[in-house]
Parts: sequence; structure tokens; C-alpha cells
Amino acid sequence: MSVSPAAFLAAGTVLFVIGLVGALLKRNALSIFLSIELMMNAVNLLFLTYGRMRGDPSSHVIVFFVIAIAAAEAAVGLAVFVALFRSRQTIEVDRINLLKW
Amino acid sequence: MSPAAFFLLAAVAKIAVVWAVMLAALLPNLVWMERRGAGLIQDRPGPNRVGPLGLFQAVADVLKMFLKEDVTPLYVDKLLHTVAPAILLVPALTTFAVIPFGSSIPVFGREVKLVIADVNIGILYVLALTSVGVYGLVLAGWASNNKYSLLGGLRSGAQVISYELSMGLAAIATFVTAGSLKPSAVVEWQVQTVWNCIPQAVGFVVFVVAAFAETNRVPFDLPEAEAELVAGYHTEYSAFKFGMFFMSEYANMIAASAMIVTLYLGGWSLPFVTFTGLWGGLLSIAVFWAKTLAVICVFIWVRWTLPRFRYDQLMNLGWKVLLPLSVANLLVVAWIVAMKGPA
Amino acid sequence: MTPELLLFALAAGLAIVFALAMVVEKTPVRSVLSLVVTFFGITVLAVMLAAPFIAAIIMIVYAGAILVLFLFVIMLLNLNEEAREKDSRPVQRVLGLVSALALGGLLLGLTLRAGKPPVEPSTAGGRIPAVDEIPLVGRLLFSDYLFAFEAVAVLLLAAAVGALILSRRRMD
Repeated sequence: MSVSPAAFLAAGTVLFVIGLVGALLKRNALSIFLSIELMMNAVNLLFLTYGRMRGDPSSHVIVFFVIAIAAAEAAVGLAVFVALFRSRQTIEVDRINLLKW
Repeated sequence: MSPAAFFLLAAVAKIAVVWAVMLAALLPNLVWMERRGAGLIQDRPGPNRVGPLGLFQAVADVLKMFLKEDVTPLYVDKLLHTVAPAILLVPALTTFAVIPFGSSIPVFGREVKLVIADVNIGILYVLALTSVGVYGLVLAGWASNNKYSLLGGLRSGAQVISYELSMGLAAIATFVTAGSLKPSAVVEWQVQTVWNCIPQAVGFVVFVVAAFAETNRVPFDLPEAEAELVAGYHTEYSAFKFGMFFMSEYANMIAASAMIVTLYLGGWSLPFVTFTGLWGGLLSIAVFWAKTLAVICVFIWVRWTLPRFRYDQLMNLGWKVLLPLSVANLLVVAWIVAMKGPA
Repeated sequence: MTPELLLFALAAGLAIVFALAMVVEKTPVRSVLSLVVTFFGITVLAVMLAAPFIAAIIMIVYAGAILVLFLFVIMLLNLNEEAREKDSRPVQRVLGLVSALALGGLLLGLTLRAGKPPVEPSTAGGRIPAVDEIPLVGRLLFSDYLFAFEAVAVLLLAAAVGALILSRRRMD
């Protein structure tokens, strides 16, 4: 292809690292969750690139499953945040520290 | 001319035709049709001052939109407030890229299919656009810094998401019989067999009801009803931004009618007629737009006839009635197609 | 500058710029919207990788359902305020940033070295092949990956029930 696969891989890796930075630096639990979603989607991109390089359609199936699992995880995660907000009135991860010594 | 350049030129020409018909001819006259139709049903004249029979009412409306003062409330997120109508308008206009509005026209020896983009994933493109359109509604409600707008926007967003499911499943049943996800394949199937509204009547009803809910038209327009939530998510909008909301509702209506015609009413075809050559292609375009216009008239007719649903009745209908019906429809259709075996 | 390269640059640039915007934005609503644009960029890249079905699924499920769910939660619980207090552990943030960037450099080096494909699939001059991937994916889902398919269906059911139970108000 006229765009080499290395370019797609670089783009996917850069997106993954940006998501990782977001997950490590943000204090709002929702922002951390969003960064994790970005990491999962960057991995989807990498899967698709590798699948195209090998000519293997299984990569599409795996990406399909990753998306479905991300949807399930988002639903349950947000329900947990809602329950957490109801009991602690905050959603910043620094303040949710009842179990600390 | 190389095939790529020819394709590009043909695509630009098709886009020009669709936009010319839709934006220039249809949208302004739709406003007039709606209000005269309302007058007809309610036994009163309707607009009849601006031009003969009130035909230039649309021009007057557009002028009003441009010349009114644009009021932006305080303490809003200005970027979101400005961008929300645009997010709502773009999906309504770009849905037309995959709808076949005619058979095909021979130009310079090559056959030009009258679809702007005949992608493999036709219906999924439309569903993706509908999903993105939800953001316009929800953001308009949020960015207005107004409790009623927020409630209207959230209700409207939840309504659209709920009915999107039934609409998608009902539409998928037509693609299962056609064997491909392209709308042009569905039209081809209907040309060779019968129009889809007959064998898939249940799916047809589900799709039409869901289309009413998707476009926020009566009887599902609670989020923008005046007696309920002031004007819902477009309370705090005036002048040109309100004009964009207005235009996007009508554009959505045209797009939904075009989808209904394509999937269930035979698209650009007539029962015993074959369209060949240049004049056949042009005639098929006329047939398509005539059918779309007929469905739009039904939309307008229903609006001024039926009362509106309460919000809980609306959600009840979407989740407990339409979704099981559309799933059952899909199961039956898939079973029949599987029994017939591979073609 | 071929059209493909231009399209790739635009899509990847859009995705990366808005991913950075998502990390930098203070309010959650704007973060979600930046992420939607990022996902749109990833969708375009997926189409370039001959996966239009997956691209549509990303827009419909990720950008059109999951992120709308995020927006609903933010708007209903009014979580849009920026963080009010000062950061209690600034050293940890710096350490996190440095180690993430180091990991990123390592990953980039590894992927770029492995970026030479072992077998070049036969494509015609870089154009996206007109292979209809949807029947292939469908067949694979129902043959080789049938167990995973059914398991994911059960998982989605469990997630829906779990979300309902977790967010119920206590009937005290």
C-alpha cells in the first residue's frame, strides 16, 4: 500500500501512549475511564493494521469482540460511578480513600 | 478520461443534483406545504399573503431567520452552543450519500449509477450518522444553561437512541432478504420481486413508527412541545441557529422519507416498468422524488391529526412493543431465507 | 503526496490532536466531545485499512452509544466541574508522565521495527481491495469464534443486569 503499515502502527502507538498519559495524570474518575477507552480503541487500530498486513480477517472478529466487551465494561463502570457518587458525593479518585491506612 | 477522474466528476454532479433538489427545491417548499396542509386539515386558509397562494412564505421565513437578533444566554459554553445545531444538521444532509435516487444513466458510453456512494456497508453508514446526530440534541440541551432545555435535550436523546434500535433491526430484515448491505441491492431485489412493504408489513410499520420518533415529529415530539418544556432543547436559540434546527428537522424528515421509500416502497421503481437509457434514468429520478414527496405528505398529515404521546408512553412503546416486534420480524425473515437455502 | 497519504495524515492528525485535547481539557463534557472526534479519526483510518464494517461499528457502538452514555451520566449527575483542590501528589504525576513517555518510546521502537510485514498481501498498487469483508467476518463469527460470540452475548446480558442493580436507589 502507498501508506506503509509502519505509519498506521506509529499512529496507533501514539494514541495508546496519549491514553496512558491521560489515565495516569487525570484525577477525575470519568476522565481516567475515557483515557482507558482511548487505549482500547488504539489497540483496535493496531489489531486492524496487523490483520491487514497478514491478510487475516480474524483481526476484524477480535476487534468486534473488543468493542462489545468495552461496551459492557462502560455500562458497568458508569453504574459503579453513579453508585459511588451517590455515597461519596465526589468522583475524584484522590478523595475516595476510605480504605487507606 | 481515466475511470477515477470520471467517477469523481460523476459524484460531484450527483451531489449537485441531490442538493439542488433537496435544499433549493424541497426544503423551502416543505415549510409552505406543512403550513398550508395544517390549514387544510384545520379548516383554515394557512399562509396566503406572501406571493400567490402564499408560496413565498419560505423566503419570508428565511429572511426572518437571518435578520433576527442572535441572542446567546449568559454563562453558556459558547463553543458548544454554536456547534450543536451544526452537529444536528450534518447527519441529516449526508444520509443522502447512500440512497439510490434513480436507476442509472448512460453518459459518454459509461453507465453512471444514480447513487452518490455505493459503499458495501450502506445501512450501517446511515445508522452511524443517526448515532452522531444524538450529540446535537444532547449538547443543545446542555449548552443552553437552562433546566427545561437540559431535560428536553436528554429526553430527546434517550428517545432517539431507543427508537434507533428498532429502526435498525427492521431495516436489517430487508437487507437479509436482499443479501447485501447496500440500499441499491434492496431496490434491485424489490424490482425483481415485490415491494418490501407487502412481505415485511410488520417491519414496515415498525420502521415508519420509529422514523417518526427519530425525527422528533408528532406523535413523538414531546421534547419540543410548547406546553411541556417550553421549546425543549431549542428554547435558548434564536435567529440563524434556530433556523438551522428548523432546517435540520425538515432535512431529517426528507431523509427518513427517502429511506422508507428505498427500503419498503420500491425506491425508484414502478411495478411493471423497466427504466432504460437516458430518459428511463431521468424518469426513475422523478418517480423516486414523487414517492418521497408522498411519504412526506403522510408525515405532515399525521402531525396535524394525532395527539402526542406522554414521555413514559413513548419509551414504553419503543422498548416493550417495537423492539420485540422488530426482533421477531428479523427472526422470521432470517428463518425463511435460511430455509430457502443459498441462492 | 498521493491522496492516500494526504488522507492518512489528515485522519491521524485529527485523531492525535483531539486525543491530546481530551487529556488536556478540564471539563468532562469537552473531553467526551474531543474523544468523539478522535474516534472519528480512527474510523477513517479503519476504512483505509479495508475494514469498513469495523469502522461503522466503531461509530455506532463506541461514538454513538458508549460516549452518549458517558454524556448522560455527566449531565444527570452534574459532574462537569473542574477539580477544585490542588493536586495532593504532584511528584506522582511527573513520575507517571515520564514513565508513560518512556514506555511509549519503547513501544514505538518495537512496533516500527516489526512494521515490515512477513508476507506482503497482494493488493493492487495500494488501493483498498474490494473484498467484501462482511460475509467473511460473519462466517468466522459463527464457525471458529462461536463460543466467544455466545460468551460475549452472556457478558452483555450480565453487564446490563449488573448496571441496573448497581445504580438502583436503595429502598430504605
